[in-house]
Amino acid sequence: MSDTLVVAGTYLISYGLIVGYAVYLHIRMKRATDQSES
Amino acid sequence: MTRVRVLMSLAALAVAVGLWFALTAPPDALQGEYARLLGIHPPAMWLAFLAFGVTALGSIMWLVGKRDRWDRLASASAEIGVIFTAIGLFTGMVWGQAVWGTPWDWQDPRLMSTAVMFFVYLAYMALRNAIDDPTVRARRSAILGAIAVVQVPLVYFSVNLFRTLHQTQSIRPDGSTMPDEMLTAMLVNLVAFTILYIALLAARLDVARVEAEAHPHTALAGDAVHPPRLNEVEDV
Repeated sequence: MSDTLVVAGTYLISYGLIVGYAVYLHIRMKRATDQSES
Repeated sequence: MTRVRVLMSLAALAVAVGLWFALTAPPDALQGEYARLLGIHPPAMWLAFLAFGVTALGSIMWLVGKRDRWDRLASASAEIGVIFTAIGLFTGMVWGQAVWGTPWDWQDPRLMSTAVMFFVYLAYMALRNAIDDPTVRARRSAILGAIAVVQVPLVYFSVNLFRTLHQTQSIRPDGSTMPDEMLTAMLVNLVAFTILYIALLAARLDVARVEAEAHPHTALAGDAVHPPRLNEVEDV
């Protein structure tokens, strides 16, 4: 496996985790907003 | 909500600029392409230190003033710190495999102290999930959050205090040991990650606030004390 691919994959996984966390917060926010409105 | 969107957009822009700097810097003579990981590994660990420092601040402020918002700040910041410690450990292991020839050394003080810090803050989050009563939860986690922060200087200075595989600080009072392009990429990413932290923290605090509004009884009396179920009484 080329070095470039390993570095790119490492960045992809790391930023994927950050984006995943942001999406998780968005889903939690939406659920909490729905609950507070109902 | 609008404030969070603005901060998130700003963070996305800053991270994109940081990524551009990290990926366009020339490869290092010794480390090759792996030097680009310096655009994410040190910024992730800096962010973890910052997050755990804010957790300690929130914890101490809660112990002093018993205000809910300090508890929410401590909890939100610890969650973000754990994620970025995980990223720091992961990127460090990839870099270590390429440059040191091993992803992990069980006798290395920097690596082990970072791992211990990671698990202590995982325990902090587990502790919060294990206690239903909000006041008890806030008090116990505040004590842990205020004490656990001693690990931050220990991790940071472990490379100076002990013999370790991990190199010492690259930025020192007498200058930097890094090439200019690599140093610039790292500093830009440090700023970008700080903005990202502020955005994620604002989003996480918003979630905590709205959840507290959705379940007001948990904030007032704790889950152990249920509000009166008047509908059920009428049904009987």
